[in-house]
Amino acid sequence: MIAQLQIDPTQLIEPWTARWFPQTLGSMLVGITCGVLGCFVVLRRMALIGDALSHAILPGVVVALLSLGWFGVQLDGLPPWFLAMWLLVGALGAGLLTAVLISLVQRKSRAKEDSAIGIAFTAMFAVGLILISSLPRGTHFDLECFIYGDPLAVQTPDLILMGVVCPAVLLTVALMYHRFKLISFDPVVAAAMGVSVAFAHYLLMGMLASTIVAGIKSTGVILVVAMVITPAAAAYQLTNRLWVMLVLAGTIGALSAGLGMSLAFMVNTPTGPAMVLVAALLFTLAVLFSPNHGWVFDRLRRLRLARHVAAEDVLKALYRLGPQPETGYVEPIGTETGLPPRKLVKTVARLCAEAVLTIEQGRLMLTQVGKRHARELVRAHRLWETYLVNEAGFTAEEVHATAEDLEHAHELSDALFEALGRPDQDPHGSEIPRREPG
Amino acid sequence: MQSESVTASSDRAIGGAHPWAIEADGVTVAYDARPVLRAVSFRVEPGELIGVIGPNGAGKSTLLKCMLGLIRPDYGSITLFGDSIRSTRRHLAYVPQTEAVDWDFPVTVRDVVLMGRALRGPLGWLRAADRAAADQALRQVGMTKFADRHIRQLSGGQQRRVFLARALCQEAEMLLLDEPFAGVDSASEQAIFKLIDDIRDAGKTVIVVNHDLSILERFDRVLMLNQRVIAFGPPAEVANDTNFRATYGGRLALLDQADETLRRRSMPKDTHLDRTATD
Repeated sequence: MIAQLQIDPTQLIEPWTARWFPQTLGSMLVGITCGVLGCFVVLRRMALIGDALSHAILPGVVVALLSLGWFGVQLDGLPPWFLAMWLLVGALGAGLLTAVLISLVQRKSRAKEDSAIGIAFTAMFAVGLILISSLPRGTHFDLECFIYGDPLAVQTPDLILMGVVCPAVLLTVALMYHRFKLISFDPVVAAAMGVSVAFAHYLLMGMLASTIVAGIKSTGVILVVAMVITPAAAAYQLTNRLWVMLVLAGTIGALSAGLGMSLAFMVNTPTGPAMVLVAALLFTLAVLFSPNHGWVFDRLRRLRLARHVAAEDVLKALYRLGPQPETGYVEPIGTETGLPPRKLVKTVARLCAEAVLTIEQGRLMLTQVGKRHARELVRAHRLWETYLVNEAGFTAEEVHATAEDLEHAHELSDALFEALGRPDQDPHGSEIPRREPG
Repeated sequence: MQSESVTASSDRAIGGAHPWAIEADGVTVAYDARPVLRAVSFRVEPGELIGVIGPNGAGKSTLLKCMLGLIRPDYGSITLFGDSIRSTRRHLAYVPQTEAVDWDFPVTVRDVVLMGRALRGPLGWLRAADRAAADQALRQVGMTKFADRHIRQLSGGQQRRVFLARALCQEAEMLLLDEPFAGVDSASEQAIFKLIDDIRDAGKTVIVVNHDLSILERFDRVLMLNQRVIAFGPPAEVANDTNFRATYGGRLALLDQADETLRRRSMPKDTHLDRTATD
């Protein structure tokens, strides 16, 4: 299959030439808008409704075209802006009808929301597919482009729609930002404060339907929901601030659309799948490399913590056992720390490089710095043991293992020391070292 | 009614303002023909600290939602400061249960507090005064240090203080708190109660829904609720075995009782009484 794809790298810049630039720009504008709206869809867990809306738009658009025939209007003689707005009206009507159907099914049957959505939008889509065959001859309606997306089919009315809908939606989100944030985060409190949650919900749905109808020819019905959800979900991986998420989602949406156009031209496929593939790739990168929630940095942090703990355990073992022969330290320290030999040797090498450990006359020992650090650890360990027995109701026999973990939080030692009333001995009767001056 | 007589005895006029912060008159709410509140009537004076207690399913949250205007009573009415809820809404601040919060939502502590001001300016834009109010509220609950943290990175007690700060920031006359002590340690509980006391001392009316019986004496008056008002009065007067049994023990409808019996058969002890007894 892959081998049969005709890859033509020279086509990479084709979408950015004058012939295709309006289409590319329009798609990117839709990508931005879908990404921004998608943040609210993702946060409010309405992904399924997004999918429903996009499918439900098909009958809306078809009926809009049909109705022109009923009124005896010739398609060719229409100004493009009128056709664009007429299609938008049809799409919004269909979106609204779907929303009503969903809540109707939900209330009048035992079906829960997800089933209700599934029933309503597939029924609407089916109606759309059937109505297409009754479109009058001569009406140019390319079902394939509607389903898969095709930049060739993006014509002046579609560009007008993109140019009107997207800026309007972005402006609305900017103006209503704090309200949308409140409603998405805390709908009950929003309602108690007097915000009409239902109005905001339908406004959001209406904006989503408008954006989808504007972008549907470049992405296609089936995949347009990906342009809503995937960039927003990727942005969600990367930040803990809502406004940053909106900006990132918009950027990722634009990138997906722009790069997707290039990809589609290069391998000569419909644009929809190409854009969605780019978005999915960006999402994967976000999942892997997000600084806070990403898999890669999470692994790195764990690795670093494990190293830190191993190093501190080695220091403490040497402090307790005293200097060890350079050639024979693996056995006693390995027993003491429970570290496997290979890891132990690596840790010791690293500590020597950091001048915490040193080898003098064939003996491995702590340097001054190392000694101070080890003392600090022993102090933390014994303070935590005291704390666990005195404050947390542990017995002296069971505290060691827990204190072994807690001692690595030795930054808290001073606070602990004061809170415990400056104890001298731990529960086992060992002396708690005092903090060294300096 | 029992509640009426208790209120009448502590009747005193408040100069200027309306004498009642809350007037609930025969409030009845049913979900699918199953009554949750039955003819609930009580009156609260401005500046009172009221505890609403009762077991799960007693209608505490429903009563709260009625006061917030989120549920319309099937019968009866609630007025706040002598006016309909619709027109007094901006004098109300609501602190929801933290279980209902989406802790992964991308907001910082300051963002949450600022939501209390989201409806102030034209189109909900924030002005400098709103930011100052949020900072002030954060200072008041001692969370200034954590202002830029994500809400996930807080302890249970800190999370509650943030939501309390949001309510403070609304500068409301009445605060409604839903289970502010559920799942917090006793130190946080004390800190939160200190804040509630401060709010009351500033002349605000505070309603606290709670099912913990251990802190009753800190309220001015306690409303014991189990679908109907069991008792309403100062804790020293209403905290007795008869009232506790009526509140936490039997239900009214026979069906409810059957339900309860079946439940107890599978679980030997009533978990509510159990929990509060060990506290």
